[in-house]
Amino acid sequence: MIKNLGYIVLILIGVSCGSDKEDYIPIDQNSSLEFTIPSNFPEPTYNVTLNPPTEKGFELGKKLFYDGRLSSDGVISCGFCHIQDFAFTHHTHIVSHGVNGALGTRNAQPLHNLAFMNEFTWDGAAIHLDLQPIIPITAEVEMNESFTGIIKKLEEQPEYVKLFAEAFEDQKINSENLLKALSQFMIMMISSNSKYDKIERNEGSVFTAEETAGFELFASKCASCHAGTLFTDQSYRNNGLSINPQYNDIGRNRVTGLASDLHKFKVPTLRNIELTFPYMHDGRLKTLKDVLDHYSDGMVDSETIDPLFKNPDRTVMGIPMTEEEKNQIISFLKTLTDDDFVNDNRFSEF
Amino acid sequence: MKKFTLILLALITLISCKDDDPNMDNNPKFGSLDIDFINKVGANLLILDTESYNNQSNESYTISELKYIISNIVLIKENGDEFTYPVADSYFLINEEVSSSKKISLSNIDTGVYTKIKFGIGVDQSNYPLNGVANFIPTAEEQGMLWSWSAGYKFVKFEGSFTPQGGTSSDFLLHIGSHGEVLDNYKEVTLDISNTITIEDQTNSDLAIDTDVAKIFDSTNTHSLEQKSDVQVDPVNAPILAENISTMFSINNASN
Repeated sequence: MIKNLGYIVLILIGVSCGSDKEDYIPIDQNSSLEFTIPSNFPEPTYNVTLNPPTEKGFELGKKLFYDGRLSSDGVISCGFCHIQDFAFTHHTHIVSHGVNGALGTRNAQPLHNLAFMNEFTWDGAAIHLDLQPIIPITAEVEMNESFTGIIKKLEEQPEYVKLFAEAFEDQKINSENLLKALSQFMIMMISSNSKYDKIERNEGSVFTAEETAGFELFASKCASCHAGTLFTDQSYRNNGLSINPQYNDIGRNRVTGLASDLHKFKVPTLRNIELTFPYMHDGRLKTLKDVLDHYSDGMVDSETIDPLFKNPDRTVMGIPMTEEEKNQIISFLKTLTDDDFVNDNRFSEF
Repeated sequence: MKKFTLILLALITLISCKDDDPNMDNNPKFGSLDIDFINKVGANLLILDTESYNNQSNESYTISELKYIISNIVLIKENGDEFTYPVADSYFLINEEVSSSKKISLSNIDTGVYTKIKFGIGVDQSNYPLNGVANFIPTAEEQGMLWSWSAGYKFVKFEGSFTPQGGTSSDFLLHIGSHGEVLDNYKEVTLDISNTITIEDQTNSDLAIDTDVAKIFDSTNTHSLEQKSDVQVDPVNAPILAENISTMFSINNASN
């Protein structure tokens, strides 16, 4: 009886002062992380003040990012398809892979500079970074999990109970904090140390003659869509890919229902493009040379093909380029590779 | 021994929470409010599956499912003062099939006399990220109110079967939500509470709202199911239906 009483007393102390944080678990102090905007970058679209990254929030986000518990089979983590060495894409995989060997229909996009993007995924289906993980987490062919299921699994892990308590004021394991932690991890993933950046910021690097020629060609032939220092104008366009009957991907139309958005996909950033092969929304093109060959000679006409690719008489023109010009453009594109980013230990699983 | 336990219990509770209620006399006064959503077709209570109804396009229909999201509840006093219910706690899923879901309970409301209520139908995506909105995900997920591929909520789910005049029966499925950032179908409605509602300190009040789903078909706009019985991401019909949906609520003065 005395022993039981002891338990009751213990429980009571816990219950009656539930609002006092210190009585729960010994938690470590949290400190804020600095979110630094590179001097050659635009203002972020992500409102950092609403979810300021902290040391613990970042640590939690990273742990979640690499944790297979976010999927139904316990294996497929975010990091499974987003591998750092390849600017967080699924190296050589044409389409993303999911639980139990399921195959998706689209190529995993790179993850960097997400704090500067307006909308997410190939069709803009997520209008905010905090909401984007809902798509891969709940998709049957990706992680096939539910938030209810994940929260239950995380609550059973003492290290998560502790980390959530340290990272967030309300100390709760819930969808909001889970998504915020993932965002804190992802917004810190800034890639801004490529050779191109160092040239743009006048930090002493210079283009080779080949890269200079490629840069000038790029500016006249590609930069109307791959615009600005993020190398995307963030619009949705049909770039003349033939319809792949295996997927028959309707693109942006799935989000808006507008016929004018059929087969349109987001103009992707070209940062780290050397590493993120294969290319296009369905990973159909293996090399950068294949991509440029598509633009010069492989485009297919359709209702929604971007008018930029058309002649005044409405025949498809594509982007005329000689073989030499293609090589020069590829040389320039390789200056967008950021080795510091792909080797940055802060973002590494181990 | 039992007595001893009780005393100890009382003591611990007293001691350990002595700081909880400072300045009790100066505390503002709060009451609570239950709002009942009474789903109807015209003047009659909605009956799922078995009851057949008619719309103005001469179509008869039965309803198998009705769900909608209520959010961002604001109570307004006669002088225009607003009491905004905490946004994070302000998401509710009304499901005709589950009676407990049709009564929403609000607590810690400033006392006073309120003459209007304002609320949203769906989720206000123009103000993302809204504090706490993501915590509604598990509920929406379990109730099939998440458009997972578009990372957004279905605001209204209305399903059943219909028969056009002289025709054969087929299913209808109306899912209304926003379409990315291109089309925002979130609506807010403000209802006059003609009898007023008084929130008193530590007292529970009741308010009833009628939801007339016949208005989904026939209100500001007329929607014929024969014309379009499957509305999901439909940039033409979804806004037409969303406009109708925003007219389907009224204060039920009989029970107020």
